[in-house]
This record gives sequence, C-alpha cells and structure tokens, in this order.
Amino acid sequence: MIVPVALLVGVLCLALAGWATWFVVLDRAVILRQLWGGAVIEAALVIQAVVAGVVLLVGDHDVDAALFWGYVITQLIVLPIAAAWAFAERTRWSSVVLLVAALTVGFLEFRLWQIWETL
Amino acid sequence: MTSPRATTRPTGSGPGRLLVAIYGILALAATARGIYQVATKLSEAPLAYLLSLLAGLVYCVATYALATNRRSIAWPAVLVELVGVLTVGTLSVVDVGDFPDETVWSGFGAGYGYIPLVLPFLGIWWLWSTGRARADTTADGGPTPVG
Repeated sequence: MIVPVALLVGVLCLALAGWATWFVVLDRAVILRQLWGGAVIEAALVIQAVVAGVVLLVGDHDVDAALFWGYVITQLIVLPIAAAWAFAERTRWSSVVLLVAALTVGFLEFRLWQIWETL
Repeated sequence: MTSPRATTRPTGSGPGRLLVAIYGILALAATARGIYQVATKLSEAPLAYLLSLLAGLVYCVATYALATNRRSIAWPAVLVELVGVLTVGTLSVVDVGDFPDETVWSGFGAGYGYIPLVLPFLGIWWLWSTGRARADTTADGGPTPVG
C-alpha cells in the first residue's frame, strides 16, 4: 500500500470528522460541500484499491486476500451510506452520522495498512 | 402482531440514525469477519466461527429492524445481542474449555471497544423511550389497547 495515500486518507477523514463535529455543535445538518469532501476521500479509496490490486497481481507483495478485500469493500460502502442519509435526515443527526462514518473509514484505513504490512 | 408503528416514534430517524449507523457498522464488521472465518478456517473452531457469523447476522437483523421501525423484530434481536454478549463474554473471561476467543462478543466485546456490550443497552433504552414517546401501546409490540 502506498504510505502517502494512506496518510492522506487518514488526514482527510480526520478533517471531515472535525468539520462534521463542528456542524453537530452548531446543530446543523450535513451540507453538500461536506459530501464533496466525502467524495474526494471515496475517490482516494478507489484509487488506492486499484493500485493495491495491481501491485498484488503483478508485484511480489502478498496479503491475506479475503481479509484485505473484505476491509476494502467495507471501507468503500461506509461513506455512500452516510451521504444517502444526509439527504434523508435533515437534522444535526446526519452530521453525527457523517462524523461516525468518517472516523470509521479512517480506522479501517489504519487496519488496512496493518493487514498490508503483516504477512 | 398489531403494529405500533402508527402511534410510536420511528426508531430510525433523529437520534435513532446514530444508533442505526453504529449497529450497521458493527453488523458489517461482524458479518464480514464471520464469513471470513467460516470460509477460511471453519475446521479450526467450528462453534466459535459459526457463533461469530450468527452474531453478525443478528446485528444485520437489528440494523434492518431499527432502520425500518420494525419493533417486533428489533426487540428480540437486541435482547439476543444482550444475552449473547453477556454469555459469551463471561465464558471467554472465565475460560471454560476452549471457548470462542474470536467473536465480537468475546471479552464483552473488548476487541470492538466494548461497543457490543454498550449497544444492546442503548438499543433497549431507545426502543423503550420511542415506544413510550407518543404511544398508548406497549413498547414490545404487544396488543394495542382498545380505543
């Protein structure tokens, strides 16, 4: 896995989580700009998955494939669901959900990195 | 069963979103883990891994039921989780035989930040309080009083 991309994802997730926390404090619902932020993270995740796939196919790196891809797929699902809810729930609780989602994606990124490094 | 949906507060909106979100993440984590364990190393510890998968599926049911306001499904699902985490948690701590060491419920959910231990209580409280919110029905989806 590419360390700079993993770091970037981590930082972006924390930034989005911080932004969402601020909105929770302000008692506001998620706004479109935050969803664009989420989309940037999602794009980074897709690129990361593609790169990881290529490296695993042609490179000499090896991972526990089922575990690794299980995490990749889980990580990709989280933000879209939070985004869908942002449209359905127009209260501060959509911000709370976005906060949880961003932290989850960040944590999964950390676990992915661990899985990539071991074995 | 009579539906208390019309008269009680929906379980899947407002603060309930957070509960459903956390349930959903746990459902995803536990089910994915269970499938992985059953698919790759079932023979090592069949009981533990099948239990792991079962726990995941119960979380999926709870997530679905809470999100769609199906109280009569949500109640048993949440209660099964409570019983599960307390039973498996206790057994794994006192270490009876080679009891499962790798399920979401092991060590009272220590591997998942004790969320599996806290969540059923939150779920019960939420089902109970939303059931009372605007209701003259019983919270467990029991018979609606006449009138």
